[in-house]
Amino acid sequence: MSADLNIILPEILLSLFAMGALLGAVYTGKDKLALPILWATAGLFVAMAFWIGVSGDTDRMAFGGMFTDDAFSRFAKVTILLSAAAVLLLGQDYMTRNDMLKFEYPVLVTLAVVGMMTMVSAGDLMVLYMGLELQSLALYVVASMRRDNLRSTEAGLKYFVLGALSSGLLLYGASLTYGYAGTTNFAGIIAAAEGDISLGLLFGLVFMASGLAFKVSAAPFHMWTPDVYEGSPTPVTAFFATAPKVAAMGLFARVVHDAFGGVVADWQQIIALLAVASMFLGAIAAIGQTDIKRLMAYSSIAHMGFALMGLAAGTAAGVQGMLIYMAIYVTMNIGTFAFILSMRRDGRDVTDIAALNMLSKSHPTHALALLVLLFSLAGIPPMLGFFGKLYVLQAAVDAGLFWLAVLGVVASVIGAFYYLRLVYFMYFGTEGEPLDQAMPAIQWVAMVGCAAIMVLGIVNLFGIEGLAAAAAETLVR
Amino acid sequence: MDALLSEYLPILMFIGVAVGLGLVLMLSALIVAVRNPDPEKLSAYECGFNAFDDARMKFDVRFYLVAILFIIFDLEIAFLFPWAVAFGDMSMAAFWSMMVFLAVLTVGFAYEWKKGALEWE
Amino acid sequence: METIILFAPLVGALICGFGYKWIGETLAMWVATGFLFLAAILSWVVFVTFDASAHDGGFYTVTILRWIESGSLATDWAIRMDALTATMLIVVTTVSALVHLYSFGYMDHDPQWRDGESYKPRFFAYLSFFTFAMLMLVTADNLIQMFFGWEGVGVASYLLIGFYWRKPSASAAAMKAFVVNRVGDFGFALGIFGIFLLTDSVEFAVIFEKMPELADTTVRFLWSDWNAANLIAFLLFIGAMGKSAQLLLHTWLPDAMEGPTPVSALIHAATMVTAGVFLVCRMSPLMEFAPQAMEFVVFLGATTAFFAATVGLVQNDIKRVIAYSTCSQLGYMFVAAGLGVYSVAMFHLLTHAFFKAMLFLGAGSVIHAMHHEQDMRNYGGLRKKIPLTFWAMMIGTLAITGVGIPLLYVGFPVGFAGFVSKDAIIESAYAGTAGGYAFWMLVVAALFTSFYSWRLMFMTFYGTPRGDKHTHEHAHESPLVMTAPLGILAIGAVFAGMVFYGPYFGSQAKVDKFFGTHEGGAHGEHHAATNVIPLIAQAHAAGDKDHAERAPQKAGHGGIYIGDDNTMIHDAHVVPKWVKVSPFIAMLLGFAAAWVGYIKRPEWPKAWAEAAQPLYLFLLNKWYFDELYDAAFVKPAQAIGRFLWKKGDEATIDGGINGLAMGIIPFITRLAGRAQSGYLFHYAFAMVIGIVVLVTYMTIAGGAK
Repeated sequence: MSADLNIILPEILLSLFAMGALLGAVYTGKDKLALPILWATAGLFVAMAFWIGVSGDTDRMAFGGMFTDDAFSRFAKVTILLSAAAVLLLGQDYMTRNDMLKFEYPVLVTLAVVGMMTMVSAGDLMVLYMGLELQSLALYVVASMRRDNLRSTEAGLKYFVLGALSSGLLLYGASLTYGYAGTTNFAGIIAAAEGDISLGLLFGLVFMASGLAFKVSAAPFHMWTPDVYEGSPTPVTAFFATAPKVAAMGLFARVVHDAFGGVVADWQQIIALLAVASMFLGAIAAIGQTDIKRLMAYSSIAHMGFALMGLAAGTAAGVQGMLIYMAIYVTMNIGTFAFILSMRRDGRDVTDIAALNMLSKSHPTHALALLVLLFSLAGIPPMLGFFGKLYVLQAAVDAGLFWLAVLGVVASVIGAFYYLRLVYFMYFGTEGEPLDQAMPAIQWVAMVGCAAIMVLGIVNLFGIEGLAAAAAETLVR
Repeated sequence: MDALLSEYLPILMFIGVAVGLGLVLMLSALIVAVRNPDPEKLSAYECGFNAFDDARMKFDVRFYLVAILFIIFDLEIAFLFPWAVAFGDMSMAAFWSMMVFLAVLTVGFAYEWKKGALEWE
Repeated sequence: METIILFAPLVGALICGFGYKWIGETLAMWVATGFLFLAAILSWVVFVTFDASAHDGGFYTVTILRWIESGSLATDWAIRMDALTATMLIVVTTVSALVHLYSFGYMDHDPQWRDGESYKPRFFAYLSFFTFAMLMLVTADNLIQMFFGWEGVGVASYLLIGFYWRKPSASAAAMKAFVVNRVGDFGFALGIFGIFLLTDSVEFAVIFEKMPELADTTVRFLWSDWNAANLIAFLLFIGAMGKSAQLLLHTWLPDAMEGPTPVSALIHAATMVTAGVFLVCRMSPLMEFAPQAMEFVVFLGATTAFFAATVGLVQNDIKRVIAYSTCSQLGYMFVAAGLGVYSVAMFHLLTHAFFKAMLFLGAGSVIHAMHHEQDMRNYGGLRKKIPLTFWAMMIGTLAITGVGIPLLYVGFPVGFAGFVSKDAIIESAYAGTAGGYAFWMLVVAALFTSFYSWRLMFMTFYGTPRGDKHTHEHAHESPLVMTAPLGILAIGAVFAGMVFYGPYFGSQAKVDKFFGTHEGGAHGEHHAATNVIPLIAQAHAAGDKDHAERAPQKAGHGGIYIGDDNTMIHDAHVVPKWVKVSPFIAMLLGFAAAWVGYIKRPEWPKAWAEAAQPLYLFLLNKWYFDELYDAAFVKPAQAIGRFLWKKGDEATIDGGINGLAMGIIPFITRLAGRAQSGYLFHYAFAMVIGIVVLVTYMTIAGGAK
C-alpha cells in the first residue's frame, strides 16, 4: 500500500498543496495572496518536474496496474509541469493588470495539472476518466475566470457543454469496451483486443477515440477551440494551448498503445483520418482569421493533426516523433503567447493581427523573435519546427502511410501562408499606430528564449530525442 | 418476405405501445384530474416561480449554485451507503480512503462557506 | 609549389574582385597581376625541373583535400602533375600573366563605360578567376575535378564575353557560348557517368588502368549495343567539340569576339578552347582503345580546319578572321590527337598559344590605336603609325603561316613556331591516313591560312589609309604595358617550335622520356643525339630500332598513353620529302595570292567575289551554319518554350495554382468560417456527424468480426 502511495507521491503532494493553498488563502488574505501562491505554484511545478525527471528509471505500477509510472509518463509529466509553470508566470503580469488575479487561479491550474498527470499515467479506464474529468472541470472554470465578461463566460459554458458531450462519448466508449473486454484494466483489454476484434469493442474504440479527439481538439471535434481560445483570458488561452494538449496526446497514445496495441490497423485508420481532417482544417480555416488568438486556435488544431500523424504511424518511432513534436510545439506556443500577452496599444490589450503592422520598425527585436517563432510554427527548415514535422513525416512514411505524409506536406504548405502573412505584416505592412513599448521581463525572456531555442535546438534538440525514444520504447512493446 | 417483416414486428409493437401510453397519460390527466383552483394554489412558490408559467423562463442563477452544492453532498451519500453497509468486512485502506474523501469534501465545504457561496445575498 | 600555382590566381581574383573598394582600383589590379606572374614563374620552374622518370609511373599527385564521398564515389581534390599538366601550366599562366599586364593598357578608358564606373577590377577578377578554373581543369587528378574546372572556365568565359553588358550583342554572344557549350558538356557528363558506371571510379590513376578492359566491354545505350571504349571516347569528344569549337558546335566562337580583345587572346585563342584537345590527350589511355572514335576525331578535326580556313578567307572583322583561324588551328590539333600523336597535338597547342595570343593582342593593339574600329576595310597603311605592333603582327603571321627552312635539320627543324608544329601535324596526317582525306584537307587549309593571314596583314598595314580620316590621323602606338607582352610572346612565337621540338616530336625515345610514358625511356636517346645531320628522314633511319626496342607501356603510367602498335611518331618522320615540303608550298601559294590581291592588284578581290558570287556569299555567311541552326533548333526551341511558357506555365500551372490558392482555398476558408457559427448546437452537431462518419467507416472498412 505504502509502495503504491509512494508512486503517486507527486500527485498527492500537488493535491495537498492545492487544498492547503485554497484554505490558507480563503481564511487569510484572499486575493492579496494570489501572487505569492502563483509563484509558489510555479516553483513547485518546476521542482516536481526536476524530481520526476531525475527520479527513477524503472517502470512501476501502482494499485494493481491502475496507475503507471514509466519513461513515457515521466516525459509527458515533465513537459506538462514545465509548460504549466511557464504559462503561469507569463500570465501573471496580464492577470494583475486586468485585475483578474484571484488566488483560485493557481489552485485550479494545480488541480488541472494533477488531472493531467493522472491522465498520462492512467492504466485503467476508471483512472483515465477520473484524470480527464479532474483536468476538464478545472479548465472549464478557468475558461470563464472573467465572470463579468460575456465572451469569457460564453467560452466557459461552451467548453463545458461540449466537454460534457465528449465526456459522454468517451464514457460510452469506455462502457462498451468494458462490456466486451470484461475489464477496465488496460492490461486486460489488450489481452482481449487481439487480432479480429468484435464490433462492440471496435465501437468502444471509436467512441473513446472521439472523446479523446475532442480533448486534443482534432477535427471534426475541434469546434469549441476557436471560440474558447478567443473568449478566454489570454493567459488561460496560453495554458489551453500547451499543457492540456500534451496531456491529451499522452493519454491518447496510452489508450491506443496500452489498451489497443493489438489492433493497430484498426485505430490507425481513425487517427489518420482525424490527422488529415485536422491538418487541412487548421491550415485552411486559419487563413480567414483576423484575431491572433483565433489564429492560434486553428494553428494548434493543425499542429495536433501533425502530432496525430506520428501517433497514426503506430510505431515506437511514431510515438517518439509525436513526443518530440509536442515538446517543440509547446515551446513555440509559449514563445508566441509571450508576445501575444504583451500586445497592447495605449494600455489596452489588442488581439487583432493588424496590430502587427510594421512591428519591425517599432519593435525590431520582438519582430525578429516572432519571425523565428512563426517560421518555426510554419515548419520552415532551419527552425526546430521543421524537425518536429520531419520526425512525424518520417515515422508515417516508415509505417507505409505515404498518402498521409504527402497530405501532411500539402497541408503544411497551405498553412505556411497565414504564418508568413503575419511576417509580411510585421516587415512589409502599412504603417499604423505602434504597439506599446513596455514588455515585462518574464515575457521578453520567454519569447526571446523560445526563439533562440528554435534556432539553437537544431544542433541536438537539447537531447530530448533520446528521452523521447526511451519514452516511446516503454509504451510500444 | 414474411420472415423479414416479422422481424420488425417487435418494433411495430413498441411504437404502438409508446403512442398508446403517451395518449393515455395525457388524456387521463384531462379526464381524471380534479381542477379546483384557489388563490393559494395559484400563488407563486417559495422559490419565486409562478405555478403556471412558461417552462423556459429565466430564473436566478443562485438556484443553480445551491442545486449544485446540494448534488455534491447528495452524491457523497451515494458513496457512503455501500461503504457503511460493508463496513464490517473492509480493510483499513478502505476505511482511510473514505476518510480522505470526506476530508477533501470538507476542505471544499470550508472553502465555499468562507467564500460566502452559501449566503443568499 | 603546385598548390601555390593553383591558388594564387584565386586569391588574386578574390582580393581584386571583392577588395578593390578598400585597397583601390589600381592596387587591386596589380595584386591580381602580381599573383599571376608569381604563378607563371613558378610554372616555368615546375616545367623546367619536371622529370617524369623521377616519379613512379611518370606522374605525382599533390592531395589538397578530401572532396566527395558518396557511396562508391570517392574523390580527392588533388593535383596530378605530369608532362601534360606541366605543359598546360606554362601555357595558361604565361599567357594569362601577359594578358593581365596587357589589359592595363587596353582596358584603360574604355568607351563602353561611363565616367566613374568601376569596371577594371571586375575585369581583372574575372580574368584571374578564369585562370584559376583553367588550372583546376589542367591539374585535375579525376574527372569530377576536371568537370568542375571545365564548367568554371565556361562561367568565366560567359562573364567575359558578356563583359560589355550594355551591348545587347555581347549579352547574346555570351548566352550563345554558354548554351552551345552545354550541348557539349552534356556529352562530357554522359562520358563521365559512363566511365564511373564501368570502372566504379573517376580517378585517372584508377580508370586508366582499367581502360584495356573497356575495349572488350559492350554497353547498352540508346537502344543498341556499343563498344564501351568507343562510346565513351565519342561522348567525351562531344564535350571537347563544344569547348574547342569544332564543327557543328563551333558557332559560338566567332560570336565570342564580342568580349574585350585580351579575353579573346587568353580564353578564346590560347587556353580555354584548347581544353578539348587537352581532354583528348589526357584521356589518351582510353582513346588508344577506341579506334572508331579516333577516326571520327581525325575526320572532324580535318574538316573543321578546312571549313574555318575557308570562312576566314572572306571575313572583314579583324578579330573574326583570327577567331576562324583559331577554330582552324584547333582542327589541326584534333587531327594530331586523333591520329594518336598526342605529344604533337600538345606541341601545336603550346606554339599556337604563343603566336595566336600574340596575333590577338596585336589585333587588340591595332584596335586600340584605331579607337575601337575593327573592320579591316577601314584600315590600311598603318605600318608607319604603329611600328611595334606591326612587327609583332608580322612575327605572329610568319609563325602561323609556317615560315621556315624546309628539309633543314640541325637537331631540330629551323623555322618559326608554327612551321615546326604544323608541319609535324601534317606529316603525321600523311603517315596516319596514308595521304588521305585529313592530309589534303590540312594542306589546303594551310594554303588558306597563309592567304587570310597575309590578307589581314596587307589590308591593315599596307596600302593607303581607308575609312575615317580623323581616326587614322590620331592612330598612335600603344603604351609599353601593351607592347611588352607582345615582345615576350614574340620570343615564344619564334623559338618555341625549335626549342620544344625534341620532347614533343623529336623521337619516340625523347617523347617517352619527357612524358614518362615508358620506364626505360632513356635508351634511345643516343640516336637523336648523334644525328646532327641535315635531313630528318636520315636522322630517323635508326628510328625503326628505336621503336622496336620500346617495351609495352603500362596502362595508367605517364602523361599520355602510346599504345603498343602506335608507331606514329616514327612513321611521321619517314614520310616522303614532297609531303614535308607541301605545307611550305601551300604557304607560298597563299602568300602569293594575297600579295597579288591586296598589294599588286587591289581591285581583283572585288572581281573575284563578283565572279563567284554564290561561293563568296556562302563563305561570308559562314556556310550558313547560324541560319541552319536558327531554323533547326533555335526557332523550334523558342516555339516550344513559348508554348510551355504561355500555355504550360501561365495557363496550366499558374492558372492551376492561382485557381487553387485564390479560388478554392478561400472558398473552403469561407465555408469553414460559416461552420464556425458560434452556436453550440452546430458544434455538437459537427461532433455527432464526425462520430457517425467514423463509426460508419469503421463498421464497413474496419477489421471487426
